[in-house]
Amino acid sequence: MTLSKQKAQAITKAALKAKTVDALVVRVSASTRGYLRFSQNQAAATGETEGIEVSVTATAGGRSATVSGNDTDKDALAALVADAEALAKLAPADPEHMPPLGPQRYLEVDAEDAKTAKMSGEERFELTRQMLRVANKARLHAAGMITHDDGAFALANSAGLFAYHRSTQAEISMTCRTSDGTGSGWAAAVDHRVERLDPKAVAERAAEKAELSQKPEEQRPGVYTVILEPQAVAELLAFLGWSLDRRSADEGRSAFAKAGGGTKIGEGLFHKSVTLRSEPANAEHPSAPFAGDGQPLGPVTWIDKGVLEALTCSRFWAHKQGLTPQPRPSSFFLDGGGKSDEELIRGVDEGILVTRFWYNRMLQPQSILATGLTRDGTFLIKGGKIAKSIKNLRYNESPLTLLKNVLALGEPQRVALGGRVVVVPTMVVGGFTFSSLSDAV
Amino acid sequence: MSSSRRSFLVAAGLASAGVLLPRGRAWGSPAFRVPAAETPPQGASEALLADSRLLVDEPLAARAVEAAQKAGATYADARLVLWRREHVSVRDDHIAGVGARNEYGVGVRVLADGAWGFAASSTVDRKTVERLAKDAVAMAKRNGRLRRAPIELVPAPAAVGTWVAPFTTDPFKVPLGEKADMLLAAAQATLKVPGIRHASASVFSVREEKLLVTSDGTRTHQAFIRVMPGLTADAVDIRRGRFASRDHEVQPALAGWEHVVAADLLAEAPRIAEEALQKLHAAAVEPGLKTVILAPSNLWLTIHESIGHSTELDRALGMEANFAGTSFIKPEQTGSLRIGAERVNFFADRTQAGGLATTAWDDDGVAAQRWPIVKDGVLVGWQTTRELAGAIGEAASRGCAYADSYGTVAFQRMPNISLQPGPEGYTTEDLIGATDDGVLITGRGSWSIDQQRYNFQFGGQMFWEIKNGRLRRPLRDVAYQANTVEFWSSCDMIGGAGTYRLGGSFNDGKGEPGQSNAVSHGCPPARFKANVLNTGGAK
Repeated sequence: MTLSKQKAQAITKAALKAKTVDALVVRVSASTRGYLRFSQNQAAATGETEGIEVSVTATAGGRSATVSGNDTDKDALAALVADAEALAKLAPADPEHMPPLGPQRYLEVDAEDAKTAKMSGEERFELTRQMLRVANKARLHAAGMITHDDGAFALANSAGLFAYHRSTQAEISMTCRTSDGTGSGWAAAVDHRVERLDPKAVAERAAEKAELSQKPEEQRPGVYTVILEPQAVAELLAFLGWSLDRRSADEGRSAFAKAGGGTKIGEGLFHKSVTLRSEPANAEHPSAPFAGDGQPLGPVTWIDKGVLEALTCSRFWAHKQGLTPQPRPSSFFLDGGGKSDEELIRGVDEGILVTRFWYNRMLQPQSILATGLTRDGTFLIKGGKIAKSIKNLRYNESPLTLLKNVLALGEPQRVALGGRVVVVPTMVVGGFTFSSLSDAV
Repeated sequence: MSSSRRSFLVAAGLASAGVLLPRGRAWGSPAFRVPAAETPPQGASEALLADSRLLVDEPLAARAVEAAQKAGATYADARLVLWRREHVSVRDDHIAGVGARNEYGVGVRVLADGAWGFAASSTVDRKTVERLAKDAVAMAKRNGRLRRAPIELVPAPAAVGTWVAPFTTDPFKVPLGEKADMLLAAAQATLKVPGIRHASASVFSVREEKLLVTSDGTRTHQAFIRVMPGLTADAVDIRRGRFASRDHEVQPALAGWEHVVAADLLAEAPRIAEEALQKLHAAAVEPGLKTVILAPSNLWLTIHESIGHSTELDRALGMEANFAGTSFIKPEQTGSLRIGAERVNFFADRTQAGGLATTAWDDDGVAAQRWPIVKDGVLVGWQTTRELAGAIGEAASRGCAYADSYGTVAFQRMPNISLQPGPEGYTTEDLIGATDDGVLITGRGSWSIDQQRYNFQFGGQMFWEIKNGRLRRPLRDVAYQANTVEFWSSCDMIGGAGTYRLGGSFNDGKGEPGQSNAVSHGCPPARFKANVLNTGGAK
C-alpha cells in the first residue's frame, strides 16, 4: 500500500489528536510486496501483498504500552489510541522510560527508485525467464526467488517530532543443483534499484558454482586459511553487530567488557586494515536516516583501523551513565582492500573458499563464538588456484577472529541479509576453525 | 499440560540424592486414523467466535472466490485471517515491554492455467477483494507460461465446520496488571538469590482466527489460542569476566492462561536462579564421543530439525532448494530407508492435545489426522498438501498446508511429529542408572543443522556428568554433534509412556518470503551416542 508523506501526516495527526495521556508515539508502516518463487525449473508461487500497520505507544506517568492494528480510519485510530492508553495505565511504571524526542533534523536520503516501486508480475516473469534460461541451457535444476518491496515508514509523537522514510528494494537469488545431486551453487543480488540487478550474471554464477562443486571430496576439519565471499563475511559479522552494545559491555555481559569493569573502547582489538562504518546517506546504498525512536542516524565509525571506536547506547543508558546516545544503525560498511576475488585466490597457498554459511547460531556471547555450515560451493585452494570441490564443513568460530586475522581484503559488495544494508568485501583470513564434516549438498 | 515442564528439571536438580521423577500425565496416543478424521478433534466452546468480525466479512470471501472463478480460476480460495498478539516482558524490577498487535486482512489464492497466483490486502471491502481475485488470476496465468507441468490438486471432500482449539482461560481476558505482577514477582524472586545480576520474564499470548472459503465447497472457521511463558536468570562473575544464563524449560502450548499459571514461574524462580549459578561455576566438559541422555525438553528440537524437516515432501522434491534446503531423503526411499534403530517410531499428528500445530482442518481444507513417518526405524511417510500428495502417488493429502497470515500463501508446513515411547516403560532414572559414563542434557540451547539435515550440533540449558549410573556434577559449555542417521541408529534406550512430554516453538521458519509456523514435538527421554564438544570459547 502506498503511504505518501501527506497520508502519513494525516494518519499520525488524527491519532495524536486523540491523545489524553502524557505522551504518545505513532508509527505507520506500509508496503506493497511482490514475489515470484521458482523451483524444479518452473514457477512455483507468485504473489502480491499490500498492507499498512499503525502502532501507538502511549505513556501515562512513566507507564507505557504499545498497540497496533491495520485500520486507518479516524474511528479506528481513536480506538487504537484508547486501547494503548488503557493498557499503559495498567502497566507498572518503567524506571527506564525516556520521554519522546522533540523535532529532529535528518540527513537527506534518496532510497526510493520509481521503477522498482512500480514492479509488477510482468517484470518478475521476465527476470525469472532470463534466470531459468541459463539453468535450462546448462541442464541444471534451478530454484530461486524474485522479490521486490516498496515501503514507507513514518514516526510522529506528541513532542512535535515527525519523520518519514520511503525506500524500495529488489532482490534476486538462485540455486542451481546438478542432476546427480552432488553439486550446488548459489548467487544473489540486491539493490534499491531493480535496474542494477543482472539476472543473467546471477544465474551464471549459480550455475558455474554448481558445476564446479560437483562430486566434492572430503577435507579434514581443522584450522585453515579461508577466503570468505561477501555473503559469508556478512553472515558472521551479523553476530558482531549485535554485540556492539555499550550496556551489555558495562554490565559485563559482552565481548567488549573489560575484565574488572569498563569497556574496550579505544583498544586496538582488530587488524589495522579493519574499518567498520555506518553511512545512511551513502549514494550507492542508502538506508534510513533515523532510528525507530526518531533519533537521527548519521555516519559512525565503529572500528577505525582496528581500534574499537564506538558502541551503540540506548537513550536510557546514556542518560544514566552520562554518555551520548548511539542508536542502532541501519547500515554496515566494511572497508575493502581493492583486490579482485581472482587476485585474492592467487595469493593463497592453501586454503578453503566459502560461498556462504548456513544455520548460523551463537554459542557463547562473550567470545561471540558461533557455529554454522558452509553451503553451495566450498572449494580447496592450492597454489593460488581452485584445486577441487570439497564437502561442506561446520565451523565453530568467532567474528572476532575474522577481524583479527585478516590477510587480504577484496572489493566491498552489497549482500542480501534481512532488512539492513550490509556492504562488505571478500576476506582472506588465517586461523579459521572448522570442526566437523557434512554430507549435505 | 501442567506437569510437562517440571518433571525433568526436578530430576536434574536432585543430583546427589538420586533422581525422583514425578509421574506426569502422558499424552496417550489418540486412535490411529487413516484416512482423515471425519469429525475434528475435540474443541472448546464456539462462543469465542460469536461476534467475530470474520463472520461479517464472510460474504466478501465468498465474493472473492466467485470473482476468481469468473476470471478463469480452476480453483480458488479466500482466507480471512485475524491475529491478536500480546506480549508482556519484564527485566529485574521493571517492565521491559508491553504490547498488543492486531493484524487482519484477506488473501486470495487461485489456480489458473496450471499455476498458482496470490494477492492479499489488509483492506477488506468488495472493491478490493474483486481486484485481488482478478490480480491473482492474472499472475497465475502469467506463471502458467513458466510451468513445465500443470499443478494438480488431489481431491479432498468439502469440509464445513467451526472449531475452537481447547483452552480453559482466555489469556486476553486476564488483566494486564495481573500478568505484569506475576512476571515481576518471578523476576524479583530470581534476583533475590545472591550472585544473580539480572532476571527477565515474559509471556506471549496469541489468538489466531481464520475463515477459509474455497471453490470446492469448503467453509471452515477456526480459532487457536497459544501461550508461551518464559523466565531467564543471568549470573555474572565480573571478577573472572564470565557469565551464565539459565532459561526455564517451560514449553509453549496450544492452551489458554491455565498453562501459564501451571508453570508457576514464581515457585520455580529460586531453582532457575540456583541453576544459573551452578552453570557459572560448573566444570568444563571433556570433549569426545560420548553417551548422551537427552531430556524431552532438549530432544524435541533435535526431532524437529533432523526428522521433521527431512520428511517435508516439498524439500525432498527440491522446492525449498534456494532457501531452507532439500533433504537427505529421497521419495523413492519410502519403505526402505533405515533412519534409526528398530525401537525408533515417529508419528505425525495434527490432532494431538496441546500440540501447537494441532488443528481441525488445514489451509487446503483437509481434515487433521495422525499417520506414521518412521516405523521400526524405517521411513514410511511424508508431510504433504493437496499440491504435493500426487508426487508420491498418494490419493489424498495429509493436511499439512498452512499460511502464517492473510498476506502469505499456504504451503507445506510441519505437523506435530513425535517420538513414540518405548514398550519397556523405562523411567529417566532407568536411563541414567544404565549409563556408566555420559552426559545428561536438558533444555534448549543453540542449534544448527545443514540444509539437507545430515550434520547437526545442538546445545542445551543444563548439562550433568553421569558416572556409574549417577548424576555426578554439572558441566558447562556443552554441545553435541552428530549425523542424523548415525544418531538415530545409536538410540539404545527410550523412556516409557510416563516420561513422554511435549516441547515446541512458535517460530519454525521456512519459505521465501519467510513464514513462521508453530509446532510441537512429543518425546520421552532417550539415549544416544554423539560427539560432545566444548563450546567454551577455547575451541
